[in-house]
Amino acid sequence: MSTSPQSDPRVDQAAVTDESLLAVHEKLLGKQPDEKAHYRLMPLSLLFIFSGLIFFGGTYLGRFSGHFSPQVYNEYAQPPKSGVAAAPVDPLAQGKAIYANVCAACHQVTGLGMAPVFPPLAGSEWVTGSEERLIRIVLHGLQGPIKVKGVDYMGAMPAAGPGSGFNLNADKVAAVLTYVRKEFGNGAAPISAQKVAEIAAKEGSRGPWTAADLEKLP
Amino acid sequence: MTNVPTNAGSAEVTALDSQARGPLLLLLGSGLVWLVVSGFLALITSIQLHSPQFMADCSWFTFGRTQALRDTAFIYGWGGNAGLGIALWILGRLGGYPLRGLNWSVVGTLFWNLGIAAGMAGIASGDMTGFSFLQLPRYVLPLLVVAYAAIAMSGVLAWSGRRTDGMYASQWYAVAALFLFPWLLCAAQAVLLWWPVRGTVQAVAASWYGQAVWTLWLAPVALAAAYYIVPKVVGRVLPSYESAPLGFWTLIFVGSWTGGRHLIGGPVPAWIPTMAVVSASLLIFHYLVLILNFRVAFQTGGTAIRFIRFGLIAYMLAGLAELLTSFRGVALHTQFTFFSTAIEQLGLYGGVSMMFFGAIYYLVPRLTGNAWASAGLVSGHRVLMVVGIVLSIVTLAYAGIVQGAGLLDDKTTFATIFGQIRMTLVVNSAAQLILVTGNVLLLVNLVRSACPFTNERPATSIFRQPSKLEAHAS
Repeated sequence: MSTSPQSDPRVDQAAVTDESLLAVHEKLLGKQPDEKAHYRLMPLSLLFIFSGLIFFGGTYLGRFSGHFSPQVYNEYAQPPKSGVAAAPVDPLAQGKAIYANVCAACHQVTGLGMAPVFPPLAGSEWVTGSEERLIRIVLHGLQGPIKVKGVDYMGAMPAAGPGSGFNLNADKVAAVLTYVRKEFGNGAAPISAQKVAEIAAKEGSRGPWTAADLEKLP
Repeated sequence: MTNVPTNAGSAEVTALDSQARGPLLLLLGSGLVWLVVSGFLALITSIQLHSPQFMADCSWFTFGRTQALRDTAFIYGWGGNAGLGIALWILGRLGGYPLRGLNWSVVGTLFWNLGIAAGMAGIASGDMTGFSFLQLPRYVLPLLVVAYAAIAMSGVLAWSGRRTDGMYASQWYAVAALFLFPWLLCAAQAVLLWWPVRGTVQAVAASWYGQAVWTLWLAPVALAAAYYIVPKVVGRVLPSYESAPLGFWTLIFVGSWTGGRHLIGGPVPAWIPTMAVVSASLLIFHYLVLILNFRVAFQTGGTAIRFIRFGLIAYMLAGLAELLTSFRGVALHTQFTFFSTAIEQLGLYGGVSMMFFGAIYYLVPRLTGNAWASAGLVSGHRVLMVVGIVLSIVTLAYAGIVQGAGLLDDKTTFATIFGQIRMTLVVNSAAQLILVTGNVLLLVNLVRSACPFTNERPATSIFRQPSKLEAHAS
């Protein structure tokens, strides 16, 4: 079968010369004039396979590329349409997510807190009562003793407003407060982002509040 | 077929080869030294996977660094040196004139190896970057680019000053590799290390480079060798050679786009992984053309052909495995497991390195003008390579599948998964030991063959005179 038997594993014999190798293959590519016109077209089967691959690739790209939008990360999603406002966010859903990230570590997922350091939110008069006080607590934090539902708590709550470690903007503060006022059987009225922004602008950046300071407010 | 010499210029071993002997043997030899170094490092990494306390107290050889050192020695040391040697030799042969600028190439080789050694010392002492296949610290990279240019120049000169106008497939692949790598390395170091782009764009650039290093640099060199050696040894025209240009351009155009498959599930726009799936599918056409062209490789034996045959099969299997694992549903099970390591091993060791070995077995006798020193070392190396590669790929793939299933089950702990695959990883260490032993055999054989004192020149030429290729032999 083989034209040059490779008897010695220590050296591979060449069967053909470099010149003829170049010349014969060059001719096959049809770059040199071939009097006999022995040009061969691309075999039909290869053409079909190539077209099939291109077709598959095109379809797959069209389906899963998210129209090459840099904002689409999920291959099943379509890019956002320009000119249409973003869908309004449900403050309760957003608030729940923020609560889980920011608040639940101390006040617990149940909103029951943990005596004697973390006061409860469920049924707390501070949560369902004055908006003015509640918003200030979340914006700037709270330090020192506080009486909730007749029990004394002694702890320090960090600020969560703009510029703090959590850096929640007015929308997010409003969302999480709306959530805690609705959840845990509280059922108080929602808090608007305008109100939060108003208080944040009025107070500027300041240190944490004490319960005594807050009680002077309406 | 008769072995009648056609003309004096087509003698099998000519002045072309004897002039290139020193510089090219330097390239191939340093490549093999790095391969052995990388083999020992691979052994250390592999042992650390099942016995984490191994060398854990020595900061230079902790797992993260040994892995980076192994990759660097393999890609730049072995792939770079040996690949350049093979590409230069093929371009010189097909160019028809002795290689020019070989002094530059010797100086370049010295600095290339110096740069890699300095870079590896940098990695070991803690300067490595976080990008896979580009762990070299940035201060050695400009030196590597310049050294590479000095070596590659003589290949480019041989190609631009070639005797015949036309170009053969080996020349396309070799020249493409010579020109593409500096572009890859410059672009990658610019956007990742000198003026780093921000955020996820870094991950995109790093995955592009990691993929392109082997699809656009090492694989083309290996294919250049296959395109040259297969018809030379078999003595027949490559069937369906008319389609070879399409196969070539498919690889060049879509090859580097498949890098996005490493980013599935990552914080990148959806179109990047999708593009990778499409590119990997288009590469099927490239593999199909290779199958058509290299059918003839199964018709004859010989050392070089056996290595190249193995390499071609492994190269195609690696491509298919890449395609399958680039689909998001499959990637869910295989990404971040040993399965992706297995594919890398299949492509880089089974594919590229085996074709490099084949080329080295073919060309070294022509450089030295004498046969390999020992037939036993040749067949020993081949057997050890085949056993080692198959064993390591099978064990890694199995470990990857077990690991993937365990990671998806939230009740299975990491410790349980580790317990399940520990024995498999021990077997993989054995495979790494086999591989490094085999490569030491090849290095010993090369030293014995190339050493002018131990190796007597044969009285009569050991090479048979090749005949003319018949146009319609197929």
